[in-house]
Amino acid sequence: MAPDPDAALMVAFQEGSEAAFRTLFERHGRATMAFCNRFVRDPARAEELAQDVFLKLHRSADRYQPSARFTTFLYRIATNHCLNEVRRGEYQARPEIDPESEDGAPLDPDALPGTSATPEEMARGNALARDVASMLSRLPESQRAAFVLARFEGLPYEEIAEVLGTTVPSVKSLVHRATVSAARALEPWSAGGAAS
Amino acid sequence: MIGRDRHVGDDLTALLDGALPDDRRAEVEAHLASCPECRSERDRIARALSSISLTPPPPAPRPGFEQRFYARLAREAPRHRSLLDRLAARPFRWLVPSTGLAALLVAGIWIRHADDRMDLEMARHLDLLESYVEVASLGVVETSEDVDVVSHLDELREGRP
Repeated sequence: MAPDPDAALMVAFQEGSEAAFRTLFERHGRATMAFCNRFVRDPARAEELAQDVFLKLHRSADRYQPSARFTTFLYRIATNHCLNEVRRGEYQARPEIDPESEDGAPLDPDALPGTSATPEEMARGNALARDVASMLSRLPESQRAAFVLARFEGLPYEEIAEVLGTTVPSVKSLVHRATVSAARALEPWSAGGAAS
Repeated sequence: MIGRDRHVGDDLTALLDGALPDDRRAEVEAHLASCPECRSERDRIARALSSISLTPPPPAPRPGFEQRFYARLAREAPRHRSLLDRLAARPFRWLVPSTGLAALLVAGIWIRHADDRMDLEMARHLDLLESYVEVASLGVVETSEDVDVVSHLDELREGRP
């Protein structure tokens, strides 16, 4: 396995370098917030959850051993924290949050289909995001975690298995069942039409 | 070899994800060549994956994202350090809960994956560990029954039965 520069930063933090910890946050904090938002669909809460994850990391630094990739360790903390959060139940009844109206937070420009996206393309992207979020909220939690890690974080099945503490065949099954559910829920999009 | 009467199920998604070993991929592709039902299902999943790939990521954080975290870190990290210092000064107070936690972690690791790595397992149980540390600091955890209550604190906090 290639040397993991993030693991080296974590070791430097264990040895007392707060700057190393800040570098880790600057590298992974925003991605962790985006990951958390897949579970709670609330940017403000997602930011709090990402902060929680990094506080846990800060407190438990002395327990980290660089035998695993840093991001695997981070995803494991974040997944567990997000699943604990959604188990509280309040998100199941929460109405969909329109990304455009949430705190005036802009969508990540890199996310749009090009920097010159038309208003129609932006509206279509937002509608698709809402349908995907709604589909995610209906998945059982293990399928949801596996699906988010596979589809949005791009992790290979082997790493998802490490994050979730399960086997690769189990991940294969979880990802497949979630993807079949997604195919059913997103049928109007697959047919080339936009749900309006 | 996959018979025509047996479909390939969850191998379809793994095939599209490039996650099948070469020999299995060859078997699944041979089956697809002769099974219109599985081809149709594969195409349906492929269309869904294409749609999902167009999903914009969640909103970017508001400006000051890093500064808000560093401010919270400055507020909360010293409090946690102080708690650990107090625990270190009274080691017998947390002997019971920490022994209980260690036993629980060892049992969990042994049951799930004998070769799983400790650091990842610890990541999974950070919430539980923090509950033990917080409650032990109050000096009210004395018996194994107390340890059991602490292990279910999250459920009490969430109002579960």
